[in-house]
Amino acid sequence: MDFDLPPEHDPRRLEIRAWLERNPRPTGRQVAEAGYAVPHWPRPWGLAADPELQLIIADELERAHVDAPYHVNPVAVNNCAQSLLTHGTDAQRACFLPPALAGEEIWCMLFSEPSAGSDLAALQTTARREGDHYVVKGHKIWTSLAEYAKIGVLAARTDPSLPKHAGLSQFLIDMDSPGVTVTPIVDMSGAQEYNEVFLDNVIVPADRLLGAEGDGWFLCTSQLQTERVALSKPGAVWGKGPSARELLAGLIECGAIGDPLVRDEAAKLYIEGEILRLLAYRAFSDGVNAKAAGPEGAARKMIAAPHGQRVLELAKRVQGARGLIEGVQPFAASRPGAHTVFDDWDYAFWFSPGVTLGVGTQEMLKNIVAERVLGLPREGDRTAKVPWSQAGKTELAPA
Amino acid sequence: MNFALSEDHEFLRDVARTFVANEIDLARLLIPGATVADASYESNWKKIADVGWPGLIVPEAYGGSGMSCIDLAMVAGELGRALAPSPFLGTLAGTWAIIKGGSEAQRAAHLPPVAAGTRALALAVARADAPRQGQGDNANGTSRHPEPVEGLQAKSDGSGSDVVATVDGDGFRIDGTKSFVIDGGAADVLVVAAQLGAERRFFIVEARQSGVGIDVLPWRDITRQVCTVRFDGAQAELLPGAEAEVWPWVRDRLLLVLSVENAAGIEHVLDATVAYAKERVAFGRPIGAYQSIKHALADTFGARECANAAALYAAWALSEEAPNATLAAAMAQSYTSDAYVAATHQSIQIFGALGFSWEMENHLYFKRARANAAILGAPSSHRARVIDLLTAA
Repeated sequence: MDFDLPPEHDPRRLEIRAWLERNPRPTGRQVAEAGYAVPHWPRPWGLAADPELQLIIADELERAHVDAPYHVNPVAVNNCAQSLLTHGTDAQRACFLPPALAGEEIWCMLFSEPSAGSDLAALQTTARREGDHYVVKGHKIWTSLAEYAKIGVLAARTDPSLPKHAGLSQFLIDMDSPGVTVTPIVDMSGAQEYNEVFLDNVIVPADRLLGAEGDGWFLCTSQLQTERVALSKPGAVWGKGPSARELLAGLIECGAIGDPLVRDEAAKLYIEGEILRLLAYRAFSDGVNAKAAGPEGAARKMIAAPHGQRVLELAKRVQGARGLIEGVQPFAASRPGAHTVFDDWDYAFWFSPGVTLGVGTQEMLKNIVAERVLGLPREGDRTAKVPWSQAGKTELAPA
Repeated sequence: MNFALSEDHEFLRDVARTFVANEIDLARLLIPGATVADASYESNWKKIADVGWPGLIVPEAYGGSGMSCIDLAMVAGELGRALAPSPFLGTLAGTWAIIKGGSEAQRAAHLPPVAAGTRALALAVARADAPRQGQGDNANGTSRHPEPVEGLQAKSDGSGSDVVATVDGDGFRIDGTKSFVIDGGAADVLVVAAQLGAERRFFIVEARQSGVGIDVLPWRDITRQVCTVRFDGAQAELLPGAEAEVWPWVRDRLLLVLSVENAAGIEHVLDATVAYAKERVAFGRPIGAYQSIKHALADTFGARECANAAALYAAWALSEEAPNATLAAAMAQSYTSDAYVAATHQSIQIFGALGFSWEMENHLYFKRARANAAILGAPSSHRARVIDLLTAA
């Protein structure tokens, strides 16, 4: 056991610094071609990097203020693009991976629907095969980045005669196809982070199918579980934004730490934040992010999400009535939008109820931990074992 | 960077787990009316001595195995998982005090018999009138939660001290009372904090002499012997080490032991409660199929992960004598104690009325958790130190 992080003079650091000196303002394409976008992937895309090297690369890119590929194109780099390695064709890899890893083509995830959130396999969007293409019809929601995305990773039902999970397939669709309409959703923070996407008889060429028909559920779950560990800090919003360390610094700076209740709570949050850092590094050290992460990732998110909410809540609370004025930051040293939009403390707080909803609701995460880690009996789903076309009737039938 | 346990550490942990499973039995404590006198302290200690664990932390030069805090964490965790009653913790405390504060001659006199398992120790530092929360000083305008050990120290003229040392020929005699002495009744030799003029110092005191009276407290955690010790002109030998050098070093290590006990205890309680929730049927389903139970246990699993990480990190930091070792130990105690208290209470709730009976082990864990959250200071007092350490930096 050794908790020391790779030191400053580690030769692997020096190598990356030398590269950054040769390429002081690298383009996304240069970062990707150097293997730094997905260092844990095999060559030629990545460097087959071990966890330590991944950590070093992320660290050095951040210090050099290079926009990290997982920030620029998170859906591709963190979640979906790896499925092309396992389930894609050579043609798909050649066509989609280089611009995705370079951040030139942004991806979005077309999974959730108005009637299919936690119960994702209940999705109703259909993709019907007609000759050399599919015709897609449906309504997706809570899609981030849809307004910028070139590529949408679509989950749709290709065979309603199969049970709900078995009849799903995945496609890589062009977001500029005729019939795709993107409409922003204004969330409770007042921002437009998310969109609805309407798919009205969209023609998708058959070679855009990822894997085989019926692989959709496997692909969706593996992509959602692939958790890229937040490398540098346990930020309050899904690893991004302020952390408990910054909260404590702010409370000291503004004097609120003198209040004994604030002091004790700040200490609790600080300690939890440091523990989350250890858990993230441990997961990283175990190399779980190199493969599809299992329920351990769900457990970490289950711990981290409410922690982040409490970090933001305490910062907001010490502001008193001033905290209700739009845009007023809790601490003088707050840096709105310094790195991501969530570095804005005020915005992050009003966004924070979403942290236990997005990327798996807290309740679903607890179910996953209870059932898959602790081995408690699984929830029954009476709609899961019958043909999807019959499932609605089954649901209404008595137990 | 490698956050996983080495194979050697896993091996040591597994050996300890097997030993504890085979040798430690709490059955007598589950008979209503049981006290710590029924805890098999002596026979357990003999078994522990036979496997050499009293000498784990004793340097090899004195006949011990000179192991690190990570090694110790493997063994102490397993003893904690089983609530193994024995003077292991008291002996660790006394041993650390002698290692850090003793002269060469004192180490040579006391450590080999400890390593051989023929001498048990205890450390007497806490006051009988330990302050309650809110009774500490109010420095910086903040309400402090004093530790029983560090709070309400004697004034610089020595007034207000609970145990006083006086010079007697070549040696010293001590008078007064210490309380909350872990394993005091089992100890052959005590290390005692006493006031000597303007200083607080540590003394070695033979327990079995006429000037020492030991009363076992009716301590709720009957898996651990906690005592009041009265000194009436007891002969004492001064440790050369200064209190400021000795106590923080020993305290941090004791907090580590509590933390690893807490972390392993949470694991045990969670495992037992999950097993029960799979077995107990209500309304035609195992109670573990209901989300109210699932979610409660998932939360405890999260706490278990956090407690393990905090305790292991503290073990590593203390092994390395890392600059943040004191901080890591304080963080580990405060997190793991709160989590252990919550997990043991939850286990009683999920076991239902059965878990409320004396004949089940649930209450033993509940009481150990409460005791570990109080005996060396409340989690909130260690959090206060965390903030002090961070703001001083």
